[in-house]
Amino acid sequence: MLLMMVITCIDVVGAKLFQWRLFGAIDIVMLSQIVAISFAASMSLILGRHIQVEFFIVRIPRRAQGVIESLVLLLEMGLFGLIIWQLFKLGYSFQTSGEMSQTADIPYFPFAYGIAIASVPVILILFSNFLKSIERIVQE
Amino acid sequence: MSPITTGVVGIILLVILFLLRMHISFAMALVGFLGFTYLSTPKAAFSVLSRDIYETFSSYPLSVIPMFILMGTFAFASGISKRLYKTAYTWLGQLRGGLTIATVFACAGFGAICGSSTATAATMGHIALPEMKKYKYDDTLATGTVAAAGTLGILIPPSTVFIVYGILTEQSIGKLFIAGVIPGIILSVLFAITIAILCWRNPMIGPPGPSTTWKDKFRATTGIIETLALFLLAIGGLFLGWFSPTQAGAIGAGGALIIGLARRELSLKSFFEAGKEGLRTSCMVIFIIAGATIFGHFMAVTRIPFVLAEWLGGLPLPSMAIIIVIIIIYLIGGCFMDSMALIVLTVPIFYPVVRKLGFDPIWFGVMIVIMGEMGVITPPVGVNVYVIKGISPDVPLETIFKGIFPFLIALFVITIILLIFPQIATFLPKYITY
Repeated sequence: MLLMMVITCIDVVGAKLFQWRLFGAIDIVMLSQIVAISFAASMSLILGRHIQVEFFIVRIPRRAQGVIESLVLLLEMGLFGLIIWQLFKLGYSFQTSGEMSQTADIPYFPFAYGIAIASVPVILILFSNFLKSIERIVQE
Repeated sequence: MSPITTGVVGIILLVILFLLRMHISFAMALVGFLGFTYLSTPKAAFSVLSRDIYETFSSYPLSVIPMFILMGTFAFASGISKRLYKTAYTWLGQLRGGLTIATVFACAGFGAICGSSTATAATMGHIALPEMKKYKYDDTLATGTVAAAGTLGILIPPSTVFIVYGILTEQSIGKLFIAGVIPGIILSVLFAITIAILCWRNPMIGPPGPSTTWKDKFRATTGIIETLALFLLAIGGLFLGWFSPTQAGAIGAGGALIIGLARRELSLKSFFEAGKEGLRTSCMVIFIIAGATIFGHFMAVTRIPFVLAEWLGGLPLPSMAIIIVIIIIYLIGGCFMDSMALIVLTVPIFYPVVRKLGFDPIWFGVMIVIMGEMGVITPPVGVNVYVIKGISPDVPLETIFKGIFPFLIALFVITIILLIFPQIATFLPKYITY
């Protein structure tokens, strides 16, 4: 994100003061955003920054909460499994078709693979949470 | 099942998954994917899933979100919020309820460089609540004020909610930003009036702070210069068409960083902390948008938004009655869902209705933001209230919720004012071309 900020600032100052544009600035900002957001996903998940609606589930018995949580986590793991698989496929299609960014000709495929790879820790965190909720059900 | 029935089942399933505490962004992506699979083919749905995620993450228009979030976190790390509060405190602290009134105006000032209500509440809560505790302010008034005044962060530009609304509806972010200025000022004054009334009825809840000399007051005023400079550079540049929204955010973040370095307030540790905090918040918002994009594709295939627009537009009711119904839906929804998620989910559904009824999309954006402001302080899902609870763990949650009710009345008043006089929101955007 700092790179996004620095690149945009250099581009703006260059364009406004010196009539000079940073080559491929928009491409770099777009692709930096992919790296920043996808690799921050797992940390955000650990820190509980992804939003959930809490008010209903806390009113039901703890054992039932554990069962529901496990099922939800299974669904989320399934979703991320699909996302990883499809992003690898998308990356492969970018690679074979040679798709590149419009200005700087940066190939797209490493970034699609990057999101897929960055999603693997998300599944691992979800799996760890799943094991914890199973443990809670057993303890209850 | 017909596409519309499938869409309704999808919406019900989504609500159930929300209630079962599935992450909002993941639930929207899952239901959107399943619904799209049912109505088209699994192959098309797989393509939507991966393409929507890739395109959302790499979207240049969306890069405005991290930039303005970074501007807010750097402004906090640079100590701008502390100096803003000191200015407001020096001018207003000696009045009855003065520290809370100062908090409102400090939040409004911080809102001018930060686009998030929770960040504004958290920032000002850390600074203002210990001061109010020192002067024996009533907990209900003190915590309620910070939670409510924090909501000014999304009405006064820059605003992440305006940005997301602008992207979803293809409206000018510059026009949306400037549309929030006058309502933001009016709401700040309404909040201050609310505090004045509360302290007039019971002077014990907000005793006056220490008196200050005129010399102190003018010296403290220098504390707003950097905020003003940052606002004029980033948001003024956007209004004048010098910068695109992303560029304005980056220049604002860069400016906040330079202020922090020049004042020697920004350590390497706080710099990295601010960067990490900005990244986590941006990640959460962009994930919600990615999920909503997938869900939005499913909704588009069901044709529900268009059918709903046709149906509501054809009802033998005045347009104003329909818009009030929509506002009530937002109000109720805001009680149970995070405002950003609610907006991302519902704007694609209600926006065609609003356009069909002939309402100004910029005005509707302002109304949506005010509904979002109510949503972040109303129980049971009032994010700002939980933020304040985190800062003041000894104050019961019920006390904070009790404290926000007088401010909810002020929010209702601004809603009614904007319903009667929409020009308050649409007047300034006419002068913006970008």
